[in-house]
Amino acid sequence: MLLRGKMAAAARALGGGVRSSLSRWCVAPAPLPVYRLSWRTCSARTLRTGSPLLSARKFTDKHEWISVENGIGTVGISNYAQEALGDVVYCGLPDVGAQLNKTDEFGALESVKAASELYSPLTGKVTEINTALADNPGLVNKSCYQDGWLIKMTVDIPAEFDELMSEDAYENYIKSLDD
Amino acid sequence: MLTRSFLKNYLPVLCLRKISGAGFGSPVRGGVILQSVSSDVYANLAVEDWIHDNTDLKDGHVLFIWRNSHAVVIGRHQNPWVECNLKLMRQRGIQLARRRSGGGTVYHDLGNVNFTFFTSKKKYDRMENLKLVIKALKTVQPELAVSATKRYDLVLDGNFKISGTAAKLGRTIAYHHCTLLCNADGSLLPAALKSPYHGIKSNATTSVPASVKNLLDVDPALTCEVVVDAMATEYAAQHQIDGKVKLVDPADETVFPGIGNKYTELQSWQWIYGKTPRFDVSSCFQLVYRQSRLDVKLHMNVVGGVIESCSLDLANQYLPAEMCEKLRNNLTGRRFCPDEILLLESALVKTYSGDLELYNGGICCVKR
Repeated sequence: MLLRGKMAAAARALGGGVRSSLSRWCVAPAPLPVYRLSWRTCSARTLRTGSPLLSARKFTDKHEWISVENGIGTVGISNYAQEALGDVVYCGLPDVGAQLNKTDEFGALESVKAASELYSPLTGKVTEINTALADNPGLVNKSCYQDGWLIKMTVDIPAEFDELMSEDAYENYIKSLDD
Repeated sequence: MLTRSFLKNYLPVLCLRKISGAGFGSPVRGGVILQSVSSDVYANLAVEDWIHDNTDLKDGHVLFIWRNSHAVVIGRHQNPWVECNLKLMRQRGIQLARRRSGGGTVYHDLGNVNFTFFTSKKKYDRMENLKLVIKALKTVQPELAVSATKRYDLVLDGNFKISGTAAKLGRTIAYHHCTLLCNADGSLLPAALKSPYHGIKSNATTSVPASVKNLLDVDPALTCEVVVDAMATEYAAQHQIDGKVKLVDPADETVFPGIGNKYTELQSWQWIYGKTPRFDVSSCFQLVYRQSRLDVKLHMNVVGGVIESCSLDLANQYLPAEMCEKLRNNLTGRRFCPDEILLLESALVKTYSGDLELYNGGICCVKR
């Protein structure tokens, strides 16, 4: 059932929903292409999340997270950090192409009149910034690990990534902060 | 030559430096109250930057008290063209500064006192600081109906703002600064904070306008000097430190080594205007060509205060395509400045068309 639900959602996302509803009125086997489409979507999705190229999320003591896929790191702030900040109203992000060293300040988030600096978790070059945050900075609060990511960057020194905290280690770290 | 008064005034600061220079192993203990002898907004903001960048406040804290001559101070992520009347400010000699903290635009003059609370990031607590300000004010006037809001403003009678807040959270240090209106010039404040420009679209942080009141209007005893003394006493009592206020000169490089660079940066175009979040602006102007008038719309994308790209909307063939192209090229890469653009438009049109009579002797920007 769950799978069927996912397939239907995937089909809807691809505009397949229209074809499905049309198929109710058609004798022709219209659903078939839709199912093929959705199968392809599902398998692509499985491949992405299951790929050994996608790392687990790692954390810095400044509450940034980073996960690496195909050599490119995606950076955001942790749930703990977004809760502490409150409603983010502006995201000051670097230019694409900016070269960052590990722990360099790369921008600032503004929330409830406070500007909080952001620090690069690794050494690398900024390859992309999340342009959706310009119109919707609140994504950092709503979806800090998905849609509210901040920048993507190259991973110039892979050993730096290994040194960062795992999710479990980070959980322990924030517990120690609250004590 | 080191005089006795120099040592008395600066010794705590020198100690701060010495200890901070020793790194994390030797945290500053206790607290210090500093007051600036300067009324230069850039110099006082430079002191904040210097303390933020150079001190280790793991177990220490600093209260910095400062006042500025006429100035409008915008938040870190704000647009000066949206927030204030730059032309009026130039005419009246009111300076424009961008601070590093968030929040909205405020007007400063010598009737306004600013307090900056520096702590470690862990001890950063804005509400605690505001409670201290309230407590200090009530030592002078126990009946004062002052309270803190959820947005960290201080209001009188639940309505009139007397203090605004902003903060910056750095690597290890955080600071919270707040204004306190004692006897500010109310006549300049609304005019300076009203932008004449329209048509700017931006995601920059916007200010929330508020009705303000001076403390002196409520109680003539609440002068800046009295409020500063009350704050110093209360801060010292809370932190169990010597309540003596140490006077500091922001221009003194022997006390604040390297502060000159911070001062220069805070005054630079690149910081004040160049740090404006990207924005789009549309302006309309009118051309008179022989007996007919032509509306022209100019759209510009401004990034880092510089026109990154622009487009012109005008009826076909009123201006030769080559001329439009030339105008676009001339605008692109220029620093955004409404007056400068006005001049440029006028100059270009004059250059390219002898037949074109300019409306009112020049191209006129009609505000939308």
